[in-house]
Amino acid sequence: MSRITVENVTRRYGDVRAVDGVSLDVAHGDFLVLLGPSGCGKSTLLRMIAGLVPPSDGRVLVDGRDVTETPARDRDLAMVFQSYALYPHLTVARNIGFPLRTRRQRRAEISARVAEVADILDLGKLLDRRPRELSGGQRQRVALGRALVRDPGAFLMDEPLSNLDAQLRTATRTEITELHHRLGRTFVYVTHDQVEAMTMATSVAVLNHGRLEQVGTPTEVYDTPASAFVAGFLGSPPMNLLDAEVVARDGRLHAVAAGVDVPLGLGDPGQQGEPGKQGEPGEQVRRPAVLGIRPEHLSLRPAASDGAAPEATLRGTVRTIENLGSEEIAHCRVGAAEVAVRARRPAGFTVGEAVVLTVRPEHTHLFDRESGRRLVWRPDRDAPIPAARVPVAT
Amino acid sequence: MTLATEPSVTEPAPPEGADGADTGAPSIGGAPMTNFDAPETPGGRSRTRVVVGHLTLAVLGLACIFPIYWLYATSLRRPNDVYEVNPLPWPLSVDSYRTAIDEIDVLRLLLNTTVVAVLTALGQLLTSLLAAYAFAAWNFPLKRLLYLAFVGSWLVPFQVAMLPNYVLLHQLGLLNTLSGVIVPNIVSGLGVLLLRQHLDGFPKELLEAARMDGRSSWSTLWTVVVPNLRAALAALGILLLVNAWNEYFWPALVLQRHNDVLQLGIRSFMSSTEGDDWGPLTATAGLACLPIFVIYLVLQRHVVSGFVRSGLR
Ligand SMILES: Nc1ncnc2c1ncn2[C@@H]1O[C@H](COP(=O)(O)OP(=O)(O)OP(=O)(O)O)[C@@H](O)[C@H]1O
Ligand SMILES: [Mg+2]
Repeated sequence: MSRITVENVTRRYGDVRAVDGVSLDVAHGDFLVLLGPSGCGKSTLLRMIAGLVPPSDGRVLVDGRDVTETPARDRDLAMVFQSYALYPHLTVARNIGFPLRTRRQRRAEISARVAEVADILDLGKLLDRRPRELSGGQRQRVALGRALVRDPGAFLMDEPLSNLDAQLRTATRTEITELHHRLGRTFVYVTHDQVEAMTMATSVAVLNHGRLEQVGTPTEVYDTPASAFVAGFLGSPPMNLLDAEVVARDGRLHAVAAGVDVPLGLGDPGQQGEPGKQGEPGEQVRRPAVLGIRPEHLSLRPAASDGAAPEATLRGTVRTIENLGSEEIAHCRVGAAEVAVRARRPAGFTVGEAVVLTVRPEHTHLFDRESGRRLVWRPDRDAPIPAARVPVAT
Repeated sequence: MTLATEPSVTEPAPPEGADGADTGAPSIGGAPMTNFDAPETPGGRSRTRVVVGHLTLAVLGLACIFPIYWLYATSLRRPNDVYEVNPLPWPLSVDSYRTAIDEIDVLRLLLNTTVVAVLTALGQLLTSLLAAYAFAAWNFPLKRLLYLAFVGSWLVPFQVAMLPNYVLLHQLGLLNTLSGVIVPNIVSGLGVLLLRQHLDGFPKELLEAARMDGRSSWSTLWTVVVPNLRAALAALGILLLVNAWNEYFWPALVLQRHNDVLQLGIRSFMSSTEGDDWGPLTATAGLACLPIFVIYLVLQRHVVSGFVRSGLR
């Protein structure tokens, strides 16, 4: 039963700001994934929530109670470490029971509870082994068991799957998600794997250099990235980002660069639907920006037949093709930029071929070139302006 | 015939099929065996190297063992034979041991020595453990300076600290007591140094896991750190015990004329006027060595593994 709130938390190591003014609110029962590249401060943030690292600034609240100064053991949170941190000298049963022995519960109670947890995690046959006699996957379950046994208010997990092979990772992912549904507890889960984030999370917080880039559901984060960083971090291959200029023409905005001329669908279609209104104030708009298009939103139109292409778009040549089995990815050179296109196989690409790629206006994204923030159209202004800074998740 | 599959390793193509014979599925049976007797010259060269190596080690080993052997050999000669150079002491006699036991109270001295050595080693082990744990698990002001002070105390020669310690003991009235021998040695800079090396390699996440699991730092020390540090603690304990056992000068200074520990008991057989009484002297020395040998034999596995295995995993 835990709602975890982090208010403006900062952690400095010397001159490095490992976590820089992060605010988050994790509702009870949420599965929050902290996502970001290596060194972006995910673990540090998680440790501050856990109480293992004191914040240099800011507050941590659990269920509205300020626990910033509360020692880890009184926060009612359990943690699963990346290395699992099993006690090497104890058997599986004693490892799982360790948190309970601290709490001075009766021995019979402890072994009953351990057996229960071992049953959930299918560890019954391994209870007498030591950690070094277990496989990686089994160790991971023991670590999970040690967290489960206490029935804590929330689970904190730091890349718990990163030491498993691909197959086991997929299986365990599902299990953790099921566990989350079954227990209804709050989970805060650190990973740099976007697949884990997309599949497990109810909400994703993307971190970069210690700062929060965006919080939202996996869909929001993927479909409307709040910054060029988020756009370029999610997806495989990630969103294509091209330097372009925004100009107004034919009553609507276009992103233009060498080989690129893409009509934009910015913001809410309701406000955008009438091109006449929108074009008027912006006749002389020329604004540097970054154009973003997901590889799967580009589609191929062979160069030869483009004579009548009304929304002509990206022109380039195919450099390489990657075969993924069901799909293929073509890397094309458009002007000075590389653009990846992802399509069902066979997509009809040939290396060296000149291609024209099209995209629907609603699938385009625009980012500020300096700040990297997402640009949205405000009808009452002359030009696109940056979206408000990431709002605190609710 | 049915459709031919590609020849696989587990199922070689049947020899009677003409196509199968052409593809020549590799015969796995005989091929690798032929390689076995091939490298002849390298094997011969490495053998001489091994022989020379073993010879060198054997000679070194003998050089180490010889004085100890000679000690016991002399102690077992008849009192009149102690200056014999025959490597085999024959006929054997335990007269020297009898003299030693008659002249000094060997059993009492043995007990005293044991008490001093064990208490000193245990004390040093405990203080080293606590200090090393503090250094490894926490950051606090002046940490580096304090650590340097510990290392420094180990580097400072005994002779420098000897007189101040002696004066202090005098003021505390601990001269001529066993406590006077033990108390000033209760902290070992070397112990702190070695244990900290071990603890720095101790997985930090284990300590954090214990914290999350509700253990205090004191309880973590005893339920998580110590059980996983057993090998290192055993090795260090033996080292400290041997050091304490072999200590001669400091007990000699504190206990002055009282021959309260074995190592000083040996002194009573040294005499400038009548010459040393080698028989009982070697017998006492031989007795003084025995406990260490026993400890080493019993705990050998721990000693070796403690020094060989650096960390936990
Ligand atoms: N104890 C520490 N002392 C000094 N710097 C630290 C410490 N812990 C973390 N840092 C720094 O803080 C930054 C964030 O570290 P953190 O471990 O939180 O990253 P992370 O996002 O978990 O990365 P990874 O995915 O590689 O685990 C890094 O630049 C790291 O060097
Ligand atoms: Mg990390």
